[in-house]
Amino acid sequence: ERGGNNSFTHEALTLKYKLDNQFELVFVVGFQKILTLTYVDKLIDDVHKEFRDKYRNEFQQKGTLGLLNGTFDFKDDFMRLLRDAEESSKVRAPTVMKTFEQSLKSQKTVKCMIETRGEKPKEKVKNKKNKGSKKEGTEAVAAPGKASAGDKQSPATGDREELTKDEILQKNREEFFKRHMKAGEKSRSPKPEAQKEKGKKPRVWDLGNSNAKVLDYSNSATNGSAEACPVEEFDPDTALGDRNREPGRLYDLEYESDDEAEEEKVIQNPSKPSAKKGGLGGMFGMLKGLVGSKSLTREDMDPVLEKMKDHLIAKNVAAEIAVQLCESVAKKLEGKVMGTFTTVTSTVKQALQEALVQILQPQRRVDVLRDVMDAQRHRRPYVVTFCGVNGVGKSTNLAKISFWLIENGFSVLIAACDTFRAGAVEQLRTHTRRLNALHPPESHGGRTMVQLYEKGYGKDAAGIAMEAISYARNQGFDVVLVDTAGRMQDNAPLMTALAKLIAVNAPDLVLFVGEALVGNEAVDQLVKFNKALADHSMAQTPRLIDGIVLTKFDTIDDKVGAAISMTYITSKPIVFVGTGQTYCDLRSLNAKAVVAALMKA
Amino acid sequence: KLLFSPQLLTGKYRDTQTSITDSSAVYRVSNDKSASVTLIDLPGHESLRLQFLERFKAAARAIVFVVDSVAFQREVKDVAEFLYQVLVDNTVLKNTPALLIACNKQDVTMAKSAKLIQQQLEKELNTLRVTHSAAPTSLDGSATGGPAQLGKKGKDFDFSQLPMKVEFVECSARGSKGEEGDADFEGLEKWLAKIA
Repeated sequence: ERGGNNSFTHEALTLKYKLDNQFELVFVVGFQKILTLTYVDKLIDDVHKEFRDKYRNEFQQKGTLGLLNGTFDFKDDFMRLLRDAEESSKVRAPTVMKTFEQSLKSQKTVKCMIETRGEKPKEKVKNKKNKGSKKEGTEAVAAPGKASAGDKQSPATGDREELTKDEILQKNREEFFKRHMKAGEKSRSPKPEAQKEKGKKPRVWDLGNSNAKVLDYSNSATNGSAEACPVEEFDPDTALGDRNREPGRLYDLEYESDDEAEEEKVIQNPSKPSAKKGGLGGMFGMLKGLVGSKSLTREDMDPVLEKMKDHLIAKNVAAEIAVQLCESVAKKLEGKVMGTFTTVTSTVKQALQEALVQILQPQRRVDVLRDVMDAQRHRRPYVVTFCGVNGVGKSTNLAKISFWLIENGFSVLIAACDTFRAGAVEQLRTHTRRLNALHPPESHGGRTMVQLYEKGYGKDAAGIAMEAISYARNQGFDVVLVDTAGRMQDNAPLMTALAKLIAVNAPDLVLFVGEALVGNEAVDQLVKFNKALADHSMAQTPRLIDGIVLTKFDTIDDKVGAAISMTYITSKPIVFVGTGQTYCDLRSLNAKAVVAALMKA
Repeated sequence: KLLFSPQLLTGKYRDTQTSITDSSAVYRVSNDKSASVTLIDLPGHESLRLQFLERFKAAARAIVFVVDSVAFQREVKDVAEFLYQVLVDNTVLKNTPALLIACNKQDVTMAKSAKLIQQQLEKELNTLRVTHSAAPTSLDGSATGGPAQLGKKGKDFDFSQLPMKVEFVECSARGSKGEEGDADFEGLEKWLAKIA
């Protein structure tokens, strides 16, 4: 489900992979990170094709027997492909330079034939006059810069004596260009290089003379986008249909929708023929999909994926996450052979559903009680820290969790490390009193199940937390719940303070409390919180967020996208779900139910 | 785990990689009945195991739960959690497939015996019963641990309390003769013959 990008870096190695969904193969290429090998992609494609073609027969037999019995003697083929790829990459660079040079030389020779040597200074004067744009200059200079590395500028020396007072100006220009360029000027002293480039300068400006030609060449390569231009010109004319309306007036909804409809119609008109074709193709694709097996291509999946992406965003999933999810589903399904009687839509939907369930399913165990029991056995308290932005429900859910723990027979110490917000300590004191009333000491063997550790307002939160933990250890409390102040993720000093609290006290569980109402903000919050925790921790493996508490779940009916966003970003499980303001409103996540609500139309 | 199928099928040793998908093959039991079963190997990676279990649990006539006898001490909690999830699954409870817990890697000297693993698992599952039933109920009202109570209430958990037949077997996919040796699969093969 995270298969959006296909490269992975670990220490000094970078791995790139390619999936073959038809035969369920994975091709992985590993190379050293510092070498940026341009032929890697091509190599992996070639290997993929060769391997598939060569061993197609073995794959056709279903099952592992084919794989087991087939001998895959691919080593020689692989070495051959590797050599080819390396050679092709080496050859490509010089050929680029040669073609440019040849064009330079050819231009130059033509000019030389037309004009005699004595007229060279005149050229330079002309060149100075038409100072092309700096960009073209740098591009043109960059290429001869590369070519100079090839060391083929024999005519350069010949031109040197021709240069006149223009030398100085040109030198200045070159230096200015050099500062902008990053092309190889490593081991040369500037002067000989400048001289060499001076020698080339005339030729450069020759090319500058023929600017139009160069530009034309690039345009013709992008012929496809030329079609876009007429569309763009179209819009302003007919978009504002009713020109006699006053600009700046707030119009009624009906007017505006008409406006948009007109714009849409206008945009659609030029693209209608393509859309129609696409529509027809889509219909045939569906029919084809219904009967017989066909392999999925990107174009088939794109419309379906677009719809699914919009659907997810409508369900309050963060926009970038929806995009990444659809990307990874597309990658997973590309090339896969569909069975009979399955449409593209159903395949994509099912793949998306599986991906979502997998995201929500906890990767590791989510059993707080088990861990508390372990800590109990070792006679140390289990420390849980709650962090989050303002107003998400940290204190409320802390009280709910302590209620749940007490119900299961664990004694709880609440550490009031929110020393900033007015009434925070009193709020926790009230909760403590109520919880003790619900679970009086008499029914638990004479010990108070809940106690509050507080030091008033304005003190250092990390210090209070440390004292609370040692107090709990002395008194034999099973769990310590640390309540921190809400803080915005952009507030650097507060984030530092939180990171310090967590790094110093090393809690067993760091819970991020997030509300289900949050939309795209969830991504930003979690990223910044994790980053702050990682940056300010001294240890090798910093303590990051271990779990998520999703609160105010009762306020969203089925727009449950925030759950997906949060688990996707952190890949940590949702430990609790808060569904109300009473002590019993604490639930655990049911991945399938949430995904069902998410996929429901 | 991935070594099991090729070893059973071909008797040869293969280098294996962590799998991301299932692989299946047909295995002919080597006795007079000449029955055959299909062996399906599911990937064990924590993000994948539940997903593949979902897909194949309905069709399973028997489940072989492979345990790493060497790393067991460290991983006992995770192993027990996964086993618990397999055992309380509704489909599994309905079909009650035969369950074999294969304690693999017995060729390594530090491997725990099957008896010890059984005891440890029983203790762990006992605790898990309590913690799972005490967990907060799920969003749509269904309890997380399932209304199914594992074993008998009030008594410590025992594998004999389960509705399905459970057996413990020691085996070694690599064989004690070294890397490329033949696997020591007698117990496994006997059990397969029994259920086929």
